[in-house]
Amino acid sequence: MPPETERRLAIRAPQNFVGGLALIAVGVVGLLAARELDTGRFFAVGPALLPRGVSFLLGVLGLGLVAASLLRDGDPLGRWPLRGPIFVFLGVAAFALSVRTAGLAVAGPLVAMVSGAGSPQTRPRELIVFAILVTALCIGLFRYVLHLPIPILIVPGVLVL
Amino acid sequence: MTDLLANLALGFSTALSLQNVFLAFIGCLVGTLIGVLPGIGPIATITMLLPITFGFDPVGALIMLAGIYYGAQYGGSTTAILVNIPGEVTAIVTTLDGHQMARQGRAGAALGIAAIGSFFAGCVATIVIAALAAPLVKLALLFGPAEYFSLMVLGLAFAVVLARGSVPKALAMILIGLLLSTVGTDLETGAERLTFDLTALTSGIDFAVLAMGVIGFAEVLKNLETPELRDLAKQPIGRLLPGREDLKRSAGPIVRGTLVGTALGIIPGNGAVLGPFASYALEKKLAKEPERFGKGAIEGVAGPESANNAGAQSSFIPLLTLGIPPNAVMALMVGAMTIHGIVPGPLVMTKNATLFWGMIASMWVGNLMLLIINLPLVGIWVKFLDVPYRLMYPAILVFSCIGIYSVNNSPSDVLLTGIFAVVGYALLKLGFETAPLLLGYVLGRLMEENLRRALLLARGHFTTFVERPVSAGLLGAALIVLAAAILPSVRRGRAEVFTE
Repeated sequence: MPPETERRLAIRAPQNFVGGLALIAVGVVGLLAARELDTGRFFAVGPALLPRGVSFLLGVLGLGLVAASLLRDGDPLGRWPLRGPIFVFLGVAAFALSVRTAGLAVAGPLVAMVSGAGSPQTRPRELIVFAILVTALCIGLFRYVLHLPIPILIVPGVLVL
Repeated sequence: MTDLLANLALGFSTALSLQNVFLAFIGCLVGTLIGVLPGIGPIATITMLLPITFGFDPVGALIMLAGIYYGAQYGGSTTAILVNIPGEVTAIVTTLDGHQMARQGRAGAALGIAAIGSFFAGCVATIVIAALAAPLVKLALLFGPAEYFSLMVLGLAFAVVLARGSVPKALAMILIGLLLSTVGTDLETGAERLTFDLTALTSGIDFAVLAMGVIGFAEVLKNLETPELRDLAKQPIGRLLPGREDLKRSAGPIVRGTLVGTALGIIPGNGAVLGPFASYALEKKLAKEPERFGKGAIEGVAGPESANNAGAQSSFIPLLTLGIPPNAVMALMVGAMTIHGIVPGPLVMTKNATLFWGMIASMWVGNLMLLIINLPLVGIWVKFLDVPYRLMYPAILVFSCIGIYSVNNSPSDVLLTGIFAVVGYALLKLGFETAPLLLGYVLGRLMEENLRRALLLARGHFTTFVERPVSAGLLGAALIVLAAAILPSVRRGRAEVFTE
């Protein structure tokens, strides 16, 4: 190893470095959120003991990971493609927002089509047909065979199925 | 002995009623159907299919769930052999020789021996469960809160050691699980904890939501990363029944795999994961020509598959007797049982004898069912593998969203699942394994409850955990397990077991 790189403080395990930072963040958020809780006395442990203790330990582990990532070589951070996570999350959120207000007949194709856009190999026309088919199947199965109380189609003021 | 027979008779009379046989059949069928989809393990399968059990009485629902679980397990092995994609960790070993056999045109023999081995393992494990249940329940009733707490510490220690990847990272995942378990209203004081004033969080995070997000959806996101590359064995599947030579070669591995798998499955903290790996290593060591392994040796399928199924089944033991789920799948079973109004634990056996023994007997029925339905239907399962992933995952998401919504009829649960999906994906990308997180979550509530109860009984003295001999022994064992994980020699061994 050339002497230059030896002297400089470099991140040698990026994956663990970021992982450690994430743990520290979780620990800090945990401690802040549990700030107002009652720790209790020795006789009866209060509701704050576990959240605080665990948050503290998480912070310590995070610090350890960060420190170790500066000393020892480790895995790189790797690629973080965002297309999949974004579209899948949006699709699921769309389902959550529409299932009660518009019904499964809207929410089903919505989640299938929005999340389906997350794959680079997607073909729009094929996806639309498939989304409708799957939803029809689900309505038949969950509502009519299994009798789950899930609304099918709601048009406010006009129709509730 | 007569007790055992009487209990089993009671169980079989329950499990063999027309309705329950039918439910076991449907469970195995849909479990395999979903489980055979590449990249969907038992956890996602069970969560997705949970709502279809809602309409039945608890006994029937649990029998169906158990069927779904076995079906999902077996479906994972099928994809491991045919497409080289293990449905879950325990099927990884099967890909080594199973997929090689498929490429040589012997997929049928591999699938057949996997089914036969699993059936044998299932028969043995059922008897072991039935025999161990009564004594363990007696033991469990002697346990106080301090012992329960220490036992769960031991379980978590095992979970750290058995997780793949680094020890501190596994530990961190367990801690995050514990932290998440405290979200919601504190049962003793009514104080709201870590809810950030969100009403959706006041009753805590539902386990199905967490599991589906962090494991199921995150897995979908991970699969989306890589463009589709299927290594589907285009060779004919070949005859399904293994020949005489195959059976002769497999008999020993099946018996040994069953014993290894059953024993390891009982260990709290996901011992079942080790079974297939241990069995494969064992067979390779015992083989006359070890160089055949990895090139389509039938022993390398027979042993691990038997161990896999034996472990899947014996991991029910800690759950049914002590009420402590040893791994994430069993944790999901706790959630499912709670939905049906049953709290797993030592009292189930006495209070709910029909259910308890019915479920044990149905394990055997389920195994038989798998043998009967899977082999003839292999052709259909293979067709499923032709559906491209770009269409498969939207369908998976539709089913899963409906599943999650139906658990509590709550749209915010669906939203929360989406958030956990992104979190779980980020954790995967950062090299954290999420299975210990789920275990930490499930044990978190039980642990805190028992910790606080034990301290109350001991008037606040933490020494109670070391003064009571059983509790002290369990804590000592946990320490030894953790210490061993840090020792260099064991660390190397761990790495070897999981890379092979």
